[in-house]
Amino acid sequence: MSADRETEREQQVLEIAMEAGHILLENGAEISRVEETMERITRHFGVDSGSFFVLSNGIFTTGGSVSGRFARVEHIPVHGAQMDRVVAVNQLSRETEEGRLTLEEVAERLEAIRRSPGKRGSMQVLASAVGSAAFCVLFGGSPWDAAAAFIAGFVLYLYVLKLSAPHLSKLVGSMGGGALVSLVCLLLRAAGIGQDLSHMIIGSIIPLVPGVAFVNGIRDIADGDYISGAVRMLDAMLVFFGVAIGVGAVLTLGQRLGGGVWL
Amino acid sequence: MITVAAAFVGTVAFALLFGVPRRFYPGCGFIGAAGWLLYLLLEGAGLSAAEATFFAALAVALLSRFAAVWQKCPATVFLIAGIFPLVPGAGIYWTSYYLVTGALADARATGFSAVKTAVAIVLGIILVFELPGKVFHPKIRQV
Repeated sequence: MSADRETEREQQVLEIAMEAGHILLENGAEISRVEETMERITRHFGVDSGSFFVLSNGIFTTGGSVSGRFARVEHIPVHGAQMDRVVAVNQLSRETEEGRLTLEEVAERLEAIRRSPGKRGSMQVLASAVGSAAFCVLFGGSPWDAAAAFIAGFVLYLYVLKLSAPHLSKLVGSMGGGALVSLVCLLLRAAGIGQDLSHMIIGSIIPLVPGVAFVNGIRDIADGDYISGAVRMLDAMLVFFGVAIGVGAVLTLGQRLGGGVWL
Repeated sequence: MITVAAAFVGTVAFALLFGVPRRFYPGCGFIGAAGWLLYLLLEGAGLSAAEATFFAALAVALLSRFAAVWQKCPATVFLIAGIFPLVPGAGIYWTSYYLVTGALADARATGFSAVKTAVAIVLGIILVFELPGKVFHPKIRQV
C-alpha cells in the first residue's frame, strides 16, 4: 500500500516537472534551463530516479522504481515566445527550492502560468509599429521615413498575427513578411510619405528578425547542446534568408515596373 | 544622440513583443541603448563594424547577466531585446538590394559583412556566458 503511494507520488512529481519543462521550452528558454529546472523540482520533492533528455522541440522523461515506471515523450512545437512565462516558472522553481511550496501548490501555480493571458494582439501590433519607427531612426532615417516605417510595421504585424503565424510555414511566412513590408514602403513612398526607401524598409523588417531563435541558438551551442543549438540557428538563418528573398522579390518587381525610378 | 534614444525605444518595443514582464522594460531599454552607444563610439574611434559589434555584444551580454542576478530572472530576458540594435538588419536589406540591382560585388561585400557581424555577436555572447556564475553573484556559491 505504501509502496503504491510512493509510486503515485513519484509519478506526480515527474509529471509536474514535465509540465514545468513544457512551459519553459515552449516559450523560448534555453535547453540547459529546462533540464536544470526539471532536475531541481524532482530533486526537491525527493525523486532522484528521473532522467530527462531535452531537444529544441521535445522532452523525453523516464523515471520511477521497479514498482511503477514513468516514461513519457512530449512533442513541443515552438510558438511565439512569451518571456513572462519563462520568468514565472523560473521564479516558481526558485521558491520551490527554498521549500516554501507543497507539490499541490506547485501544480496549481504551473496551471495558472499556463493559462495566463499573453500580451494583447493590439499591443503587439503597436509595439511592432513603434519598434519599426525607432529602428528606422536608429539606422539614420528622417522623421518622415520613420512615419512610413511605423505604418509598415503596423501592417506587418497584423499580417504576422492573422495570417503568417497561424497558417504559414516559417520560411514562406517570412518571405511574405519581407515582401509585404517592401510593397507597403514602395506604395507609401509613391504616395509621398518618406523619401529614403532603404531606411524605411530596414526599420520595418526588424520585427521579423528571429531574435529569440538566434540568441537561444547561440546559448545552446555555448552550453554544448549542439543539436538544439544547430536547429535553432538553422531556424533563425531560414527566417533571415526568407526576409531577404521577400524584399528582393518586391524590389525586382518594382524595378521592372517602374524602371530605375523606383529604387 | 537621437539614435541612442531610438535604441532605447526600439528595444523596449521588442521587449513588449516578446512578452517580457513590464517591470523589466527599463532594464531592457537601458541595455539596448548602452550597447548601441558603445557601438557608435567604437565605430567612431575607427574600429570596423564587426569589431565594434563584438565589443558592444560583449557589453550587452555582461549587462544582461548583471541585471539577471540583480532582478533574479533569466538573463535571456534582457539579452534578447538588448541585442536587437546590433543585429545586422541593414545587412539583409543591402545584400538583397545589390543582388537585385545586379551589383554582385557589392552584394558579396555587404553579405559577407553581415555574416561577420552575426559571428561577432555570437562570439561576444558565448564569451560572456563562459564566465562562471560566481563572477556575477559573489555572495551565493553556485551549486
